[in-house]
Amino acid sequence: MADDTFMGVKREKISWAPTIDYTKCNFCMECDVFCPHQVYERREDDPKLVVAHPHHCVVFCRACSKTCGPDALTFPNKPETIALIKQLRAEEDVG
Amino acid sequence: MTRAILSCTGLDKSLGTLAREVAIRGAEALGCEIICPVLLHNAPARYAKTLAGSELIVIDGCPTRCATKLANQLGAKIDRKVLLTDAVKASDLTLEPSLSLGPNGLALAQRLVDDLVRELTAPGQYATGLPTLEAPDDYLTVTQDKYQFRIPTQEYAFTENDTWVRIVGEQAFVGVSDYIQQKLTDITYFVPPASGDAVEQFGELGTIESAKAVLEIIAPVSGSVVAVNTTLIDHPELINEDPYGAGWIAILALTDYAADQELLVDGTAYAAVVQRKAAEEVG
Repeated sequence: MADDTFMGVKREKISWAPTIDYTKCNFCMECDVFCPHQVYERREDDPKLVVAHPHHCVVFCRACSKTCGPDALTFPNKPETIALIKQLRAEEDVG
Repeated sequence: MTRAILSCTGLDKSLGTLAREVAIRGAEALGCEIICPVLLHNAPARYAKTLAGSELIVIDGCPTRCATKLANQLGAKIDRKVLLTDAVKASDLTLEPSLSLGPNGLALAQRLVDDLVRELTAPGQYATGLPTLEAPDDYLTVTQDKYQFRIPTQEYAFTENDTWVRIVGEQAFVGVSDYIQQKLTDITYFVPPASGDAVEQFGELGTIESAKAVLEIIAPVSGSVVAVNTTLIDHPELINEDPYGAGWIAILALTDYAADQELLVDGTAYAAVVQRKAAEEVG
């Protein structure tokens, strides 16, 4: 990523990324095919798909979950994430 | 115009059998033809006349959206859609996991059909008395390769998630940016937010869909939905044609705009965001 910030906050400080529920995932790879940011990575061993690059995930984007047939992807709570971003902005004196 | 139903037939999943039930009951209630997706896939000519002369209702069981993808592959315009995963989540009934529908599944199927019939047969519910929004005059233009993305310089504020807000009095028009509509390409379907719903900043304000993706519309401000641009239900292409004017998504009554502003940027700052994204994705 050329510029790893979201609203002036370092992206790595914002824990926004999908979580795969492996009890539901059928490894159809639709999410990986869809995501243009290489958040996911396929593996030879189990599990065959992992969230390898969570900080590539666009904050508040859940588009990959709209492709997930077995509904195996979840994301963090949005209001809590917003509160965290505002707190980090205040600490880093952004804006 | 006649109607036809194209449905998921995921016979190995409870959502598939629910879709089948909704299709059968819906066809009976609406007096319309059912299109078999398997036959459509293998022999599309069989349904060419039906697709050309009917309003198409698509029922998808799960987000794999096989029925939608099939319609898109054949260039068929979808007039109404139901996604059963969402419908089940929104319901107070739990779908039985068995492949044969239980009492909950049957009750859900009937409810969904009733909702569909109500929506399709309610006269004159759309696009009456909607406010208009004039597109702005002044734009910044971000250029990346052959692409040009327009961004208004006045009156509009943006999220980094490619949605905008324009304040008119105590109310806020919201929509999506030129950048995201171009990225999606031709928008073929709009699922509106429910009027009256309260939404938090960065909450979901419906979805828009193209052959490339289903995009959650991220609310740029918090508020309650007081109007939805229902014209987009029949004409989602307006979002492509005029994203800052006729393609507005909804009007919100603001709840805390002063707090929301902290996470909004002006046109100039958003232009820098678009430049960065376009360089990464296009370049």
